[in-house]
Amino acid sequence: MAAQLTLQAPLALPPAEVQPYLQRLWSTDLQGAAGASTFTLVIYEASWLQQQLIRTGRLDGPITGLLDRSLIEQARQAVADCGLPLSTAAMDQRLAWALGQHPGQHQPEDLRGQFVDTAISEHMPRRLITLAPTLDASLPLEARVAAFCPLVDEGAGAAQACGDVVVLRGGLGSLQQGLPLVDPLVDQGLPCWVWWNSSLDEAPELLDALARPGRRLVVDSSLGAPRRCIDLLVERIQSGQAVNDLNWMRLRTWRESLAMVFDPPSRREALDHVVQLDIDVEGDHTLKGLLLAAWIADRLGWHLINSFAVDGDGAGSGVGAEFQRTDGATVQFRLMPVPVGVPRTHPGAMVGLRLICAPPGRTALCVILCSESGGCMRLEAGGMASMELLEEVVPVPDESEEMELARLLGGGHDTTNPLLAAAAPVAARLLPA
Amino acid sequence: MSEVLTNPLRVGLRQERVVSPQCLVIFGASGDLTHRKLIPALFELFRQRRLPSEFAVLGCARRPWSDEEFRQRMAEAMADDIAQHSSAWEQFSACLHYEPVDLQDPPTVVRLGERLDLIDRQRATRGNRTFYLSVSPAFYGSGCRALAAAGLLSDPARSRVVIEKPFGTDYASAQALNKVVQACAQENQIFRIDHYLGKETVQNILVLRFANTIFEPIWNRNYIANVQITAAETVGVEERAGYYETSGALRDMVQNHLTQILALTAMEPPGRFDPESMRNEKAKVLQAARLATPEEPWKCCVRGQYGPGGSAERPIAGYRQEPGVNPQSTTETYVATKLFINNWRWQGVPFYIRTGKRLPKRLSEVVLTFREAPVHLFDAAGGAPTPNQLILRIQPDEGADIRFEVKAPGSGMRSRPVDMAFSYDESFGEPSDEGYVRLLADAMLGDPTLYTRSDEVEAAWRLYTPLIELMEESPEQVPVHPYEARTWGPAAADNLLAEDGLAWRRP
Repeated sequence: MAAQLTLQAPLALPPAEVQPYLQRLWSTDLQGAAGASTFTLVIYEASWLQQQLIRTGRLDGPITGLLDRSLIEQARQAVADCGLPLSTAAMDQRLAWALGQHPGQHQPEDLRGQFVDTAISEHMPRRLITLAPTLDASLPLEARVAAFCPLVDEGAGAAQACGDVVVLRGGLGSLQQGLPLVDPLVDQGLPCWVWWNSSLDEAPELLDALARPGRRLVVDSSLGAPRRCIDLLVERIQSGQAVNDLNWMRLRTWRESLAMVFDPPSRREALDHVVQLDIDVEGDHTLKGLLLAAWIADRLGWHLINSFAVDGDGAGSGVGAEFQRTDGATVQFRLMPVPVGVPRTHPGAMVGLRLICAPPGRTALCVILCSESGGCMRLEAGGMASMELLEEVVPVPDESEEMELARLLGGGHDTTNPLLAAAAPVAARLLPA
Repeated sequence: MSEVLTNPLRVGLRQERVVSPQCLVIFGASGDLTHRKLIPALFELFRQRRLPSEFAVLGCARRPWSDEEFRQRMAEAMADDIAQHSSAWEQFSACLHYEPVDLQDPPTVVRLGERLDLIDRQRATRGNRTFYLSVSPAFYGSGCRALAAAGLLSDPARSRVVIEKPFGTDYASAQALNKVVQACAQENQIFRIDHYLGKETVQNILVLRFANTIFEPIWNRNYIANVQITAAETVGVEERAGYYETSGALRDMVQNHLTQILALTAMEPPGRFDPESMRNEKAKVLQAARLATPEEPWKCCVRGQYGPGGSAERPIAGYRQEPGVNPQSTTETYVATKLFINNWRWQGVPFYIRTGKRLPKRLSEVVLTFREAPVHLFDAAGGAPTPNQLILRIQPDEGADIRFEVKAPGSGMRSRPVDMAFSYDESFGEPSDEGYVRLLADAMLGDPTLYTRSDEVEAAWRLYTPLIELMEESPEQVPVHPYEARTWGPAAADNLLAEDGLAWRRP
């Protein structure tokens, strides 16, 4: 779905004028217009990769904040040019950093915050506040404001209501200084979502200030060091905040596919007799695979005995662990990073999963789930001739981050998904220190 | 559903939309539907985390109950369910409230408005309200008028009204009722409920047709010879004699539930799955549907009434012997009818619909019988090859079967029919939600996809108008044939198909 631009170019205002201007806009200029009674969405939109690709002349501007196909293609090309391992995902922050070492002075128009994905605008946000840090850390704070109405969709039953867009742009330091402007812009009577659309390693003070308790936080735990990401998830969840993780959401088809295997009642008993769980992930970002393992362990009532680093296959360290089942038997777990030629966009994408169940007195059952974007030959290899083999290909949903976010906004949940809340602490303990 | 182990990997996977903050107001809160269906459905939604913390239920009826009394009565009626989820009930029941209201008494409706304002403040429900009219159909119009007069339907973005069936008693009364409610609220505020549309298996007709490529190319007159839609009940009239005597099987089952199934079975694919696209296609197909012989409805419709049956040890009373039923009653407890749909897809394909009480089995199903193979190359075990059939089992034993011919084992080339079966139980092993769970959530979310629009309701009534008029003006022309309880209805219903060289499927 194409993103739409605000119908009018946003008005540049001194930052201190934003709040009075918006009050005037709704009370006088737009008198009679229906302001959406929905939610505020605050987005930290760093887009470092896009900024660097454009600055170095690999991509044409403007800067939009959207992760489109041409950006991904150029990022893949840049991985090779920067001498990074081929398994490096486009969104791996090391790529943006490596590009930062390359020369380039292209300065395109910056339209971040002015493009609104249709999937998001369909939910009629009352206010979109975008914080857009610039590569030039010395830039002062700029503000732009526009009223915004979703495009009227023929056949849509519900009435469309308008909102407004606020963009705060500048170097990280000036964004930090501009933070006092944000709180008054958030309608206290409406839910507020904060989407940290960048690495969780950066600007922790800014994150803390934006993602205050009571606001629904959206992060992507594939962006940032796994330890920092999982600790932040656990800390926020345990504080009672509603936390949504796009990395966890992208596991949806894996959870669904594995559950489907055991939907027929005749297979359910096998779940009590799992002896081995293996997961392969792309590259060296292990968190997604650990979250999936943690979900399985939690759902099946396994107790983690220990976890340890294991040597990977040339793509970083893997994770090994032992779990104890409810009947006291042991489950062996291995997560291995595997090198791939064409990685998916986000670090640590799932490659495959193997679950071996050994019910007493029955043929062992081996379930293998493979990503449709790549094979899982390693998991298929060896030792399964005597087992009942169930193989499924897991579809890879081709959905943008905005689509995923729109799904969250539409869901309207004001608490953390209980499956994530239960899995995150287990994943944190699985990740070796 | 047989007892099975829960799939632990399935628990919690569904992440469905949370209802926006609001107050659900149930009129007729002291009635059966409230404690049998509505409150259990809301409790289920609560346990599925689909209700926000800013939520309230306000039960309304004439009885002078307090909040606590209302909670207590609901708890008593749902004791078994609550016993398994006592802490959840404790939280949920805190959002149950009660206000004595008589919709015919304006001061109490004004008081209702004040109570709703108070609930908005206490529970932050933000003025969003869904009014559920679970009252006598005679009060649908006046109920809507009372709500409108009190200003409770004035904001189309924040208020909506759910109206139970039956919506009218014939075409004229449905039109009149539509005019009344549309004068009180916009069409997108009006949710006419048909609980059959809340059933997973009814919705599965859409998925089966429009999410697969193997069915739709043959889903037309070129391949389908006839369609049978059956809703059979084993029970009699039970405690509903008062209502049933004025409605009968045609109004109670055929005009609404079975006609909705007909619409889903026969409609064209919508451009997309949104309320208006869906309802446009359903309305179009219903507008194209006709009784097989509208000028002579007695030729395409059979009515029946169950008589005594059962065994000497366990006798079953006939309809006229049931408590509350007129001993001379001519109300039909069985209807079979033949329809055509005059469009390109279905021209010439008969649709047979039947429903009845005190039949041998409880079941609802749609059976699509395909045309015979043009040439019979092989001997068939049954004399002639059995036509292919697709059987959509709506309840019980939910699922679908495809019947086709295979080679019977042994020398020679004899064919015999076999069934390829899909069973919800075997594939999913989890009970599906009650229809009201889905429908209540949709209403509160403002999604009318599974609710019937005014033109659909009117088209459904218009379809049966020749028959209804005949039943009222010359009932002797559509006589009520007696049939023995726990048999498959009167012989005349078999003749309806026998004239076309067909027979009802014996499920």
